[in-house]
Amino acid sequence: MQAHRWVQPSVLPGFGLTLGFTGAFLAAIVLIPIAALVLKGASLPFSEFWRIATEPRALASYRLTFGASLLAASLNAVFGFIIAWTLVRYSFPGRRLVDAIIDLPFALPTAVSGIALATVFAPQGWLGRWLAPLGIQVAYTWIGVVVALTLIGLPFVVRSVQPALAEVDKTLEEAAESLGASAWTSFRRVILPAVAPSLATGFALALARAIGEYGSVIFIAGNLPMRTEITPLLIVIKLEQFDYLGAAALGLVMLMMSFLMLLTINALQGWRARRATGRGR
Amino acid sequence: MSISLEQVSKHYDGAAAISDVSADIADGEFFVLLGPSGSGKSTLLRAIAGLTTIDRGRIVLHGRDVTHVSAREREVGIVFQNYALFKHMSVADNIEFALRARGVRAAERRRRREELLELVALPGLGERLPAELSGGQQQRVAVARALAHEPRVLLLDEPFGALDARIREDLRRAIRQIQRTVGITAILVTHDQEEAFTMADRIGVMDRGRLQETDEPRVLYSRPRTRFVATFLGAANVLLGRHEQEGVRIGHSLFEPSPFGRPSRGAEATVVIRPEDLALGQGEAVVGAEPLGRGKVEGLEFVGVLERVRLSVAASTALASAQHPDAKQFLLEASRSAREAELAPLQTGQNVSIGVKRVHVLPTPIGSLRMLAASSERIEQLAASPVIRELAARMHVRPVGRVVDGDAPIDVLGGLPVVEIERDQGLAAPMRLLEIGAHQVLGIADSRRPIDRLLIYVQPTRSAREAALGAAATLLRHLAVDATLLVPAHQRRSLGGSSYRDLLDLRHSALRGYGVDVRTESFDGLLAEAIRNRAHGERATLLLLGVTSNASARGLLEELGPALALDPPAAALIVRGTSVSGAEGASIPYVRQPAAASAFR
Repeated sequence: MQAHRWVQPSVLPGFGLTLGFTGAFLAAIVLIPIAALVLKGASLPFSEFWRIATEPRALASYRLTFGASLLAASLNAVFGFIIAWTLVRYSFPGRRLVDAIIDLPFALPTAVSGIALATVFAPQGWLGRWLAPLGIQVAYTWIGVVVALTLIGLPFVVRSVQPALAEVDKTLEEAAESLGASAWTSFRRVILPAVAPSLATGFALALARAIGEYGSVIFIAGNLPMRTEITPLLIVIKLEQFDYLGAAALGLVMLMMSFLMLLTINALQGWRARRATGRGR
Repeated sequence: MSISLEQVSKHYDGAAAISDVSADIADGEFFVLLGPSGSGKSTLLRAIAGLTTIDRGRIVLHGRDVTHVSAREREVGIVFQNYALFKHMSVADNIEFALRARGVRAAERRRRREELLELVALPGLGERLPAELSGGQQQRVAVARALAHEPRVLLLDEPFGALDARIREDLRRAIRQIQRTVGITAILVTHDQEEAFTMADRIGVMDRGRLQETDEPRVLYSRPRTRFVATFLGAANVLLGRHEQEGVRIGHSLFEPSPFGRPSRGAEATVVIRPEDLALGQGEAVVGAEPLGRGKVEGLEFVGVLERVRLSVAASTALASAQHPDAKQFLLEASRSAREAELAPLQTGQNVSIGVKRVHVLPTPIGSLRMLAASSERIEQLAASPVIRELAARMHVRPVGRVVDGDAPIDVLGGLPVVEIERDQGLAAPMRLLEIGAHQVLGIADSRRPIDRLLIYVQPTRSAREAALGAAATLLRHLAVDATLLVPAHQRRSLGGSSYRDLLDLRHSALRGYGVDVRTESFDGLLAEAIRNRAHGERATLLLLGVTSNASARGLLEELGPALALDPPAAALIVRGTSVSGAEGASIPYVRQPAAASAFR
């Protein structure tokens, strides 16, 4: 009898090797650059750091970046779910085509999508033309930022929810139906809880991607300081002015906030998962 | 009646998943649908639950027609094989789900939940999550959940499939107990015959989308009506005997004749003998059993409570394998108790005499398929036709071919002779065989298309009707086809009965006497027209004609001749009635007593 093993036995040997790779890879690609950022930011005296981080222009950019990202990720959670549902539950001509189109925002250079969106939503653009008389201006406002972030985040939600939805056992719905549940009740109480973890993952990924997005937003946002300027752009502006410390300070703030948000989402999900799979056996 | 199914049919992509299933299930009955996978039993259960729509027919639950009522309003409880519990909800929430959906108050819900947990012997586990319970416990929760809204029907879809043997047995008993306590009507779907035998009040055996037979477990085992049920429920030797003037000859013994019709002398009788009904003796005869013949021990298998003996036996005209009708030698399976085996040990290679304690003659008129043609190529062509292939596969018969020049030899006429129908010849070839003594002939005109409809016409005599319905029953059980019985409108009038009543009577006697359901249609005008209108077109039709005598057959064919000669149906089966007695609608007894020693059993 072995008392306690923290290495789970596996069919394939090579725990040492794979853990080594994991460590080295993460270090080279993720940890070392982040550490450099943290070190750079930490070289500022705290009062100076605080001053840069809480400048009115910086605060406005946080509001826009995180607000628009949350809104975009939420929109994606709703509409991405509906798209995934349509793709999984129905078969219609052109389904594969639609399925392929979902991934386009992954592949398209973000600048291209930004320019395309700006063209379409400009007051004379194909869609902007119809929205302008209604008093809705999309391009060069915060709405444009949300639209751009929604576009680039969509595939994350669809691709996370799709497999989970396909896995939802049809008999669960049939059981709910035979027990007298309405379609809405069985959706709310049976299907949604079953795909909730994947939906949360998709939401988190879309959110993370939106917070870091730069390329597409700068073409449609108009980049007015205090109004439509996102934090990543502010960082680039600081870099162009050779204000490396200022850029590092803003970067650090973003890093911490993103980290906190993702950690919260993951923790919530972990708690849910533990509840659903049970404590015993 | 708690549940009534009336000619329920369901097709998936043109293939029949359920064909004309009719059944009545009584209040509080535990009914088991038994069948191999793909037999349509689960589809039928889902149709009753309302989870699948049906194409035709009616489903009535407690006098209420629910054919077009959604699952949520049918008030049935379902238990699925994979439990289908809501994983993110506690056991209590799972059980209360149906009550919540109906807006039942919290206090009442709690009371009901406690009651149900008590009923399924899981008190105090309400707060657990399903994943914290064992498989058997989860299935008990599923049962409690299905009963929460007090449905009047409980449907169980292979509920023990995913469980260990031991737990399965406990749960079987528990569910039966719960069902009795609650007094609910239950239908269980399974492919496990032991499960069906131990739980069922009645079993409905399904195969190929058809309810093959429905009866109490004991009756189904000892007096099956079909080869399928005989071989699906336990081991069975299926043999061919002979109908003779005095009775049914099987090997060296003669058994009482069949009272449900008197097939022509020399016709084959399909006989089922269970291994435990064979007795083996080392001397000339076996004490306490009718002699069957002699055989050689080919193999012995000791399996604890009994010993299985495989014997090879020489075939004769009154004793042949139904599976290989032309084999010179065939194998019989016998079983003896361990004690018998100990008292009179046998050795491989030893010659023994074989006796039989009990035989059961199947009511099917079709024992073997015997193809007759002028050359071996033609025989191969017949053998390759979908009708023959399907019948042979489903009946487990190897069709036998015989090259004939001129008239067929008499010895093949006992089974079902199969001949080719030549275009422009009409049904002349089958008729020739009837003339020389065959009592039934199958003619095949189109040897490429599979048959998908059976059209039946019967001359208005009891013997013709019985012969035709018997043959139809066999065909329907082995081919996935629809059946329509044609009744001429003028015939109804001449008999003085009301039309609807007469149609019902025919359908009823088919259902009761032969256990199959057919549709009935009446027609005005000429029979040839009626047949041609229906046998025409896309669907390949098998025309079944029940005739009274050779003379009346000739008359009928003259009437049909020109029309059918130009455009024959894909296949035609002519059966000639021979019965001289038999009360209308009398049920068919199956177990024969030996003619010589009727005191013996």
